[in-house]
Amino acid sequence: MTLNDIISGLGVTVLLPVILFVLGTFFRIDVKRLFRSAVLIGVGFIGINLILGYFLNNLAPAAQKMVEFTGVNLPILDVGWPAAAAIAFAGKIGLFVIPITVLVNFLMYVLHLTDTIDVDVWNYWHFAFTGGLVYALTNNLWLGMLASAIDAALVLVLGDWTAPAVQQYYGIPGISLPHGFSAAYVPIAIPINWLLDKLHLDKIQADPESIKKKWGIFGDPVIIGLVLGLVVGFLGNLKTLNDAKSWFNILQLGMSMAAVMYIFPKMVSILMDGLIPISEGVRDFMKARASGRKFYIGLDSAIAVGTPAAIASSMILVPIAIILMVVIPQNRMLLAVDLAVLPFMVVMTIPITRGNILKTVIIGTIIIAVGLLIGTSLSPLFTKAAIQAQFKMPSNATQISSICDGSNPLTWFIVKLINSWYGVVILLVVLVLFLYFYRTHSKVWEKIAGAVEVTEENK
Amino acid sequence: MRTVKILVVCGTGIATSTVVSRKLEEKLSKEGFEVSTRQCKASEVSANLEGIDLIVSTTPISGELKVPVVRTLAFLTGIGEDQAIEEILQKLRGGDKVKKEDVRKDNKNFYERRNSNDIK
Repeated sequence: MTLNDIISGLGVTVLLPVILFVLGTFFRIDVKRLFRSAVLIGVGFIGINLILGYFLNNLAPAAQKMVEFTGVNLPILDVGWPAAAAIAFAGKIGLFVIPITVLVNFLMYVLHLTDTIDVDVWNYWHFAFTGGLVYALTNNLWLGMLASAIDAALVLVLGDWTAPAVQQYYGIPGISLPHGFSAAYVPIAIPINWLLDKLHLDKIQADPESIKKKWGIFGDPVIIGLVLGLVVGFLGNLKTLNDAKSWFNILQLGMSMAAVMYIFPKMVSILMDGLIPISEGVRDFMKARASGRKFYIGLDSAIAVGTPAAIASSMILVPIAIILMVVIPQNRMLLAVDLAVLPFMVVMTIPITRGNILKTVIIGTIIIAVGLLIGTSLSPLFTKAAIQAQFKMPSNATQISSICDGSNPLTWFIVKLINSWYGVVILLVVLVLFLYFYRTHSKVWEKIAGAVEVTEENK
Repeated sequence: MRTVKILVVCGTGIATSTVVSRKLEEKLSKEGFEVSTRQCKASEVSANLEGIDLIVSTTPISGELKVPVVRTLAFLTGIGEDQAIEEILQKLRGGDKVKKEDVRKDNKNFYERRNSNDIK
């Protein structure tokens, strides 16, 4: 029996708790607490796996029939961030992502290349996801780990760059948001925002509270899931609508999708619960070693997502995303679970647009349109990574992707470049130039990311 | 031991709110409170207020709320946890006007709701 046999024999539901337990002892976490939380992590994985299977088994046949009967050719199912995160952590790279990120962060901090101490261990999954796709592409563990490390490094600098803007806009001093999904859109949002200002769109103001009231239905994942299930079910049964069984099927699919939208994130919260002791261990470990100079504490962008402008813009973006997925001819993705993740997509754009809903929605529309193409193109790797992480697909034909992070431009950029030596060189050069120009011109950069200069007048 | 119901709010109702919930349960039980938490998204606060004594949020929340709100990142950053707990205790004790009976009755309803239609 080889090591590989043991790894695949045990499966991630056993292996990951064991690895996190060992890792936890390194961070000197109380063993009793650690043991229970390690078990919880396994429980969370089983929960996510159950719901993912349920989701695919229900939606895949209906989507298949929809493709056959209507020509709405959207066979790639959006399994959403809960599944993406589980696939990322459960993959080979995911097993190493915590030490990799801690090491990258610590080295960069010591070398004055970042001011962020990223204590948001849960969101290390974004780095693991990028690495996991690279591993699916190359079968090379080292390249996968390198990809994770580069992703982490870029996101840390993005976190530094946006920190003053985020701190001022959201009123959270000392915090940065090194979030692999939210931060990825900052470099795209800045030039578009500049262009929109030239068109004087910044003069058009909309009130987020009244939008929240009018568009509230698009902010409720359960209703989104229900409607989506009904529509896909209807289109899939279009040829047999005179049969009562078809209508049973349509209604059941609506309920199933509503259930998935509600239950899926709950499963993630089990995983989150299990990660708490490790997160605290990592946090205290890093903070104790970072006491030399000032630092930002890197947190989950979930702490900013509640802002009315983010909620209002993403409510408007839900129907826009659905229209885009139908009208963009190259798109093959059927958006589902991640229609609920749009606030995370715009949350770091909002300090740049100064909470302007119109500008945020336009930027969001462009990001989603491009994202659908990215999500379509990364779907074979996404599906392969899921299978490598021992998630079961209902059939060989099933293809999956997601907005977060299947449509993430930063993930795409790294995955596309890393498979050749010159691609790796380009990535490293981009990282170095980014670091150099940001570090030498930080005040200017921070201003274009939405920071307001602190003067005597506005102090 | 006094029972309090705290609504813990973040952007997802999943991510940072889970961390804060566990911390509140741990810290407040040391202060002699029996804590039951409910988690929700910032956009769902007004729909989840029934029977809630206090809102603790990691994210900005808007709208007119009749329940006291503490917005804090202390349980995530590990900085200023004691002050945050102090503020929470103050707000909880300030709300002592609520009779214990009523609190218990509400609490029963809370659990019934929890078991019937919510997996929190």
